[in-house]
Amino acid sequence: MQTVFVRPELCVCCRHCEVACAVEHSQSKTIFGAIGEERISQPRIHVEPGIDYLAFPNRCRHCDPAPCMQVCPTDALVRDKPTGSVIVQYPLCIGCAVCAMACPFGIITFHRVSQISADRDVNAKCDNCIERQKAGKIPACAEACKTGALEFGDANDLIRVSRKDFTLRMLKSEGTDVEVPRIPENVRAFRAILKELAEMS
Amino acid sequence: MINNLPEAQKIVKNRMLDRADQETAIKAMDDGVETVWDRFASQQPQCGFGNLGVCCNRCAMGPCRTEPFGKKPTRGVCGAEADLIVARNLLDDLTTGAAAHSDHGREVVEAMLATSEGRAQGYQIHDEGKLHVVATEYGIKTAGRKKEEIAGELARALLEEYGTLKNRIQMTERAPQKTKDAWKKAGIMPRSVDREIVEAMHRIHMGVDSDYTNILLHAMRTALSDGWGGSMMGTDASDILFGTPTPLKAWINLATISRDKVNIVLHGHNPVLSDMIVKAAADPGLVKRAKDAGAAGINLAGMCCTGNELLMRHGIPLAGSFFDQELVIATGAIEAMVIDYQCIFPAVTQTAGCYHTKVVTTSRKAKIPGSIYKEFRPENAYDTAKEIIGLAIDNFANRNPDRVRIPDKPMQLMSGFSEEAIRKALGGTYKPLIDAIVAGKIKGAVGIVGCNNPKIKQDYGHVTLAKELIRRDILVVETGCAAIACGKAGLLVPEAADMAGPGLKSVCNALGIPPVLHMGSCVDCSRILVLAANIAKELNVGISDLPLGGAAPEWYSQKAISIGTYFVASGVYTVLGIAPKIFGSKNVVNLLAAQLNGVVNATFAIEPDPVKAADLLEAEINRKRKALGI
Repeated sequence: MQTVFVRPELCVCCRHCEVACAVEHSQSKTIFGAIGEERISQPRIHVEPGIDYLAFPNRCRHCDPAPCMQVCPTDALVRDKPTGSVIVQYPLCIGCAVCAMACPFGIITFHRVSQISADRDVNAKCDNCIERQKAGKIPACAEACKTGALEFGDANDLIRVSRKDFTLRMLKSEGTDVEVPRIPENVRAFRAILKELAEMS
Repeated sequence: MINNLPEAQKIVKNRMLDRADQETAIKAMDDGVETVWDRFASQQPQCGFGNLGVCCNRCAMGPCRTEPFGKKPTRGVCGAEADLIVARNLLDDLTTGAAAHSDHGREVVEAMLATSEGRAQGYQIHDEGKLHVVATEYGIKTAGRKKEEIAGELARALLEEYGTLKNRIQMTERAPQKTKDAWKKAGIMPRSVDREIVEAMHRIHMGVDSDYTNILLHAMRTALSDGWGGSMMGTDASDILFGTPTPLKAWINLATISRDKVNIVLHGHNPVLSDMIVKAAADPGLVKRAKDAGAAGINLAGMCCTGNELLMRHGIPLAGSFFDQELVIATGAIEAMVIDYQCIFPAVTQTAGCYHTKVVTTSRKAKIPGSIYKEFRPENAYDTAKEIIGLAIDNFANRNPDRVRIPDKPMQLMSGFSEEAIRKALGGTYKPLIDAIVAGKIKGAVGIVGCNNPKIKQDYGHVTLAKELIRRDILVVETGCAAIACGKAGLLVPEAADMAGPGLKSVCNALGIPPVLHMGSCVDCSRILVLAANIAKELNVGISDLPLGGAAPEWYSQKAISIGTYFVASGVYTVLGIAPKIFGSKNVVNLLAAQLNGVVNATFAIEPDPVKAADLLEAEINRKRKALGI
């Protein structure tokens, strides 16, 4: 199972992923073109602010079985077998938002998309960049992420990294003394300042 | 617009400390007016590369960033590592601030030159005494000469400080010998105002300075050319033209806006504009015109640093600080907001568009779409000032009384504490203050300066820190929006001495002064330098030997980076409440927070919590006291 794995502790809120996503789903597929298109392409990944000036990059998990697919009354949502992605067939989408109600992650948003000419908002969620994947590329968000907060690969491989981190923590038996993944001292100091500011308001 | 009033009240209480501000912020929300806090919220989350200072957008090979968690990329396309990118960005920001102060200073000197040559309409040399003092420093003869003649020669000499031939700035001679020696040893003695700024721009070009230490040393030199150059000239030329401030009482906060008069808010920085509006507003013809328009008269209210300039010299009421610029318009009672430059929100015309308020821009350097542009030059200053006031009077008829809500209860404050005024209050010498410090009645002094920033509740940092320090018998001097914050909070009155520790309280009561002294606008941080220098010279030590500190609890502006850096470079430990964009480089942080001690015997610290900041400042003051053996 291929997935974009999220490591929120590495997210620096730069929103490169949002920009890359919007560009990828634009008509021109270039940043300069995308900003001038009639239907401005919207990011399908959401770097959502949380507490202490930290954020979580939230995108479709392409669940299987997918709650959104199960509730869609027009079968607009289908699975792309080779990549395991949940895909929206835009012409079939009636904008009822039942999929969004069923989605456990709140990542479904409705917009005009350039992929169809119809003048209505449709489910414009993450399509896992299947076109890119078919061309042998990884999803645009993961490619744009420079910190490793978004990593594309075999889910079990990516999870193994976290498991190894946990193992290390257990063996050292030092609880919070072992920080995994290790956050550099300067970044930790900066985040401590942000946390202090956040707690003051 | 507000559906849930308790919720709205909770929001504004988180955003700002001052009651009058809170009331008006509620009205702004009710009127659907977007403010700086809304824009800050919609910017979340903000980019971590930018926040850490590792984003480089200088050249066309980029934009680049380095990865902060120890992965690739560790270098930009050119090869710059985080240390270099962070240092270059910091120098860029600092230079922007130094340029802003210094160009402001230049305009005052130019107005002085025009006045001396009879080209300036309505200006005159107000403080002949200070003119003589400064002229003498510049080796200009004063005896038997007309003041215009002296002013002309001095103005030319001051403009020379911006040039490149002289290779030294006269005003740095005001620093104590030991301080100057430290600058010479570190190679950071400034050579000229413009030269350091131009050289800074040169150094941050790709392939020039690639050594972060060397870049940061130049940052210190550039900052010194501001503090002991551009800003100091701005202060002194303003004093010569408009008068050196002396203590006076006045009113502050949004309640200074009048219900029945034509309200003109003077916002920005340079007194060359605002002082002339003050002069023109006294014109009987204009006052009559205002009354004919149905108003009770003309009410001028200052805002931001130009407000501080007017408050210090004329006791003009001060409506508020940087973050009050949208709120003041939301009172619905402002006929005109007249601006020159610096710290004016580009959105201010949008805010004004929600009411009848007209925004008048006056500087070729600072135009805003949606404003009325009335170019202000020394040659036609008085006529332009009258024209602007006339425009405000004509707009009075458009005020909608149903949309006006002005908070009540202005606060009183005492202002006008120029270095000269403080010295005079002490009897012409700093000895009484030094004695009080030696005796431990006053442990030391801290300059609290700087702005507002939506990352911290407006005024909370300034006011809490000031209260904490005076409680610990540490005298506070303030400029800029920090001074405005403490004015609104009632700390700038002699009675506030009751909040001070017993030692400081007794000194304040004996002199009849507040425990927090308002020393002027942000360029007037130069007054703090002169104050420190004069005390150090009386003791025959360097500034870095004195039990002093600096703080910028709510800073936002590049000018504050320059101020903080010339404080530190002059030997004053400075605590910042907002993190500068340097945390992407351990080396830069380490240099600024530790290694500078070995160069100038002062460093930066970063501490958002004002109580903890007071702890740091007190510890530093005790360190310096101990070294002095007191």
